[in-house]
Amino acid sequence: METRQLSARMTAAWPWISTVARLGLAAVFLTAGLLKVNDLAASGRAVNAYRLMSYDTAKVVGAVQPFLEIALGLLLLIGLAVRLSAGIAALLLVIFIAGIVSAWARGLQIDCGCFSKGGDLAAGRTAQYGLEILRDVGFLVLAGILLVKPRTRFSLDGLLMGER
Amino acid sequence: MSKAQRERDRAAARRIVEQQKAAAKRRRVTVWTSVAVVAVLVIAGLIGWGVYANQNKTDASSVATPSVAVDDGTAFAVGTGPVTIDLYEDFMCPICHQFETDSGATLNQLVADKKVTVRYHTVAILDDASNGTKYSTRAAGAAAEAAQEGKFKEYHDVLYANQPEENSDGLTDAKLIDLGKSVGLGDAFATAVNNKTYDAWVAKVTDTFASRGFNGTPTVVVNGKQLQGANGGVPTHDDLTKAVEAAEG
Repeated sequence: METRQLSARMTAAWPWISTVARLGLAAVFLTAGLLKVNDLAASGRAVNAYRLMSYDTAKVVGAVQPFLEIALGLLLLIGLAVRLSAGIAALLLVIFIAGIVSAWARGLQIDCGCFSKGGDLAAGRTAQYGLEILRDVGFLVLAGILLVKPRTRFSLDGLLMGER
Repeated sequence: MSKAQRERDRAAARRIVEQQKAAAKRRRVTVWTSVAVVAVLVIAGLIGWGVYANQNKTDASSVATPSVAVDDGTAFAVGTGPVTIDLYEDFMCPICHQFETDSGATLNQLVADKKVTVRYHTVAILDDASNGTKYSTRAAGAAAEAAQEGKFKEYHDVLYANQPEENSDGLTDAKLIDLGKSVGLGDAFATAVNNKTYDAWVAKVTDTFASRGFNGTPTVVVNGKQLQGANGGVPTHDDLTKAVEAAEG
């Protein structure tokens, strides 16, 4: 009897938990994109600092990435195709984490450029790769919640499905 | 079959049809919202690409390159010695200031002894650090005009002596002009600073710097080889002297 009550309560709670996750993830991507979009050259240099691709490729990636982040943030904010949006967010986060891990493994001393223009670190500052990865894993958890439980409150999905 | 039973069957059938309709609607919504999401992301990506391509085009066509600049028009040479030192600095960068304090005299001596040619690359990677006034770019643009008038090193030194704090507004254009006056730069200099004549060119210098795989300032390169201090840090004047001696062979 008690477990059934608990599970009923969880069923009622999930849409709210997912809503918080959705809005949180939207804020993450909007912030990350808006911080970079006013200086695309700097964003390109931040990508180049990872030394994973040629500078010309890095410039294109650096220019496209902030726009993608903003668009994804807006999609999550309005709640359109939440499961797919969350899946794409998770994919991006996995790519970012892989980039940080590879920079760490190669001993590069760079700012991840997650919420900044990035680049090399000033002398005397050490890279906080562990913390950056931990933070991104936290965001990945938010995306994971939405992948499993994509039903949220105040979403366009809900509106279109005729839920209330 | 009783009448009541038939009623129940009909109601059940209606329910099934409704459920199927609802499921079909959900599928439709899922498909179309997914299409919309992909379309929005593709469009956003294309906008980014478009903005980037457009920026490149305007940069290439509207850049005024200082005629005295060397190294494909991206640096100012000081001295005439056989060993080339490429020095990439940002006027906002405090570590560059430290480097100048530590190694400035050594560089001056090496230049005076005709041992080295120092090529100053005035990059702007810290435009973020001046509350939106883009001090790095403004200072580097002003230095380019100083170079045109033969006063690059003098102006460079006075800018470091008066370096604003990182994340302050930076020096105003008026202050940049005043500092120019203190080293003998006049009206032509003031005009160039006010018109931002060389600001677009600074972006090209910064781009060249990044295309060579450098990310941080100061970056010191002796005869094509990047010089680093202990633990990959900034080289000291001792490191610099040794590297120049080694390059002389």
